[in-house]
Amino acid sequence: MTTVTVMDLSSALAGAVERAAGAVVAVHGRPRLPSTGVHWRPGLVVTANHTVEPDREVALTAPDGRTLSARVAGRDPGLDIAVLRAELDRVPAAELADDGSLRIGHLVLALGAGPRASAGIVSTLDARSGGEGDRSETLAVDLTLYPGFSGGPLVDVLGRVIGITTSGASRHLQCAVRAAAVTRLVEHVVRRGRIPRAYLGVSTQPVVLPDPLRERLSLGQRTAVIVVSVRPDSPAATAGLIIGDVLVAMAGHAIAEPHDLVAVLQPDHVGAAVTVSILRGGEPRELEVTVGERPPRA
Amino acid sequence: MSAPLAREVLPPHLTPAADRLRLVTVEIDSPGGSGAGILWSPELIVTNAHVARAARVHVALPDDRRIEAHLLAADRSADLALLRIPRCGLAPAAAADSDAVRVGALVVAFGHPLGLRRTLTAGVVHALAPAGPGGRRLIQAALRLAPGNSGGPLADTAGRVVGINTMIAGGLALAVPVNDVRRFVTAAVGRAP
Repeated sequence: MTTVTVMDLSSALAGAVERAAGAVVAVHGRPRLPSTGVHWRPGLVVTANHTVEPDREVALTAPDGRTLSARVAGRDPGLDIAVLRAELDRVPAAELADDGSLRIGHLVLALGAGPRASAGIVSTLDARSGGEGDRSETLAVDLTLYPGFSGGPLVDVLGRVIGITTSGASRHLQCAVRAAAVTRLVEHVVRRGRIPRAYLGVSTQPVVLPDPLRERLSLGQRTAVIVVSVRPDSPAATAGLIIGDVLVAMAGHAIAEPHDLVAVLQPDHVGAAVTVSILRGGEPRELEVTVGERPPRA
Repeated sequence: MSAPLAREVLPPHLTPAADRLRLVTVEIDSPGGSGAGILWSPELIVTNAHVARAARVHVALPDDRRIEAHLLAADRSADLALLRIPRCGLAPAAAADSDAVRVGALVVAFGHPLGLRRTLTAGVVHALAPAGPGGRRLIQAALRLAPGNSGGPLADTAGRVVGINTMIAGGLALAVPVNDVRRFVTAAVGRAP
């Protein structure tokens, strides 16, 4: 039996960085600090949405130092992913890991353009609910995401991409959007030329649920969101949502704060009917809402 | 490709590296500075210029002998200093080729962070590019350092020195590459009387 020394492990990590770095670009989509992007499919680069400002020319720096121009092809603010289109000849596309084999405790590396590296372990496979969710979209890692790492790849010890790291997904955890979820967004761009943005047509504010109400209805969450406006002719209006309704869950996910709505309303939900659990006058009700698509910005 | 990690993996011990570094890392106490140093030869110690701030400094050897060292040369811009000690009979540090260091490689630091004597911390090489425009070329490591690590070794997993820990910036350890240290020592010894 062959034994592996810690020196072999060290060489493997350095090799993983070298293999993955070929598909890693710097993304200049905001003033000052560039972020990182990954060449996902020929001509398409994935990065963190919060690092690419709206209505802006985006430049990329290829691994060989060339400057390339790019434009935003789609955004998903819920997962904090932006997809950019660029002519990337001589830049290989990333090799993706089969993330079904990923386990808590696996050694992983986060990369920034340069290359720069940071190492750590997978903390949880489902950053939203914790635990081992197979179908989760985000995972949490125990490593340091240095300034400018957002949008860069999280790779395994063989340099294969597991996900896209972003400091924008959570205030408390270092997160990565899993490769399968990123690929779903990229496929929206390939098929339709854009990432559809799910749309309900409501504005909400957080509310604290009184303890007696929580006990009576067996609600685990301490907060929910209250509807403060409903757009006429919107999916929410059609479904019968009115001002003052308290939204506690949607599509099976608890809604504790307004951002939870954005997180639940994935592009894949556009056109689908989802169940919305509300409190109206303190009484629980369920409504069916057919999720619409937000009209593109003019 | 061959997947080295698919083979039987032993628990990745860093103890051999720690054992090696413990035998070559000294403590330095000088008026206005303190930190670590590396036994470069039986009678030479390298450290940071900001650690060895006086012509004579106190050194605690790895075997706890306390001796006095004389400042032989210092380069403030490179933040390197060379000390001469009475021949101590201890084996000096082994140095690696710092030009061969790769981003992502495991590295360890040995020193006395916050006075915690002979402490090992581990991380990976973060970047090799200059830290800023016109910046010096330093090894940047994603690894925890604290005051007291200055002048001590950054080493590979075999305990071979790749740099001298010199600064902490943005949570990163910055180390002078050992090849630069070697050139500094060669030049300083050549000048020495």
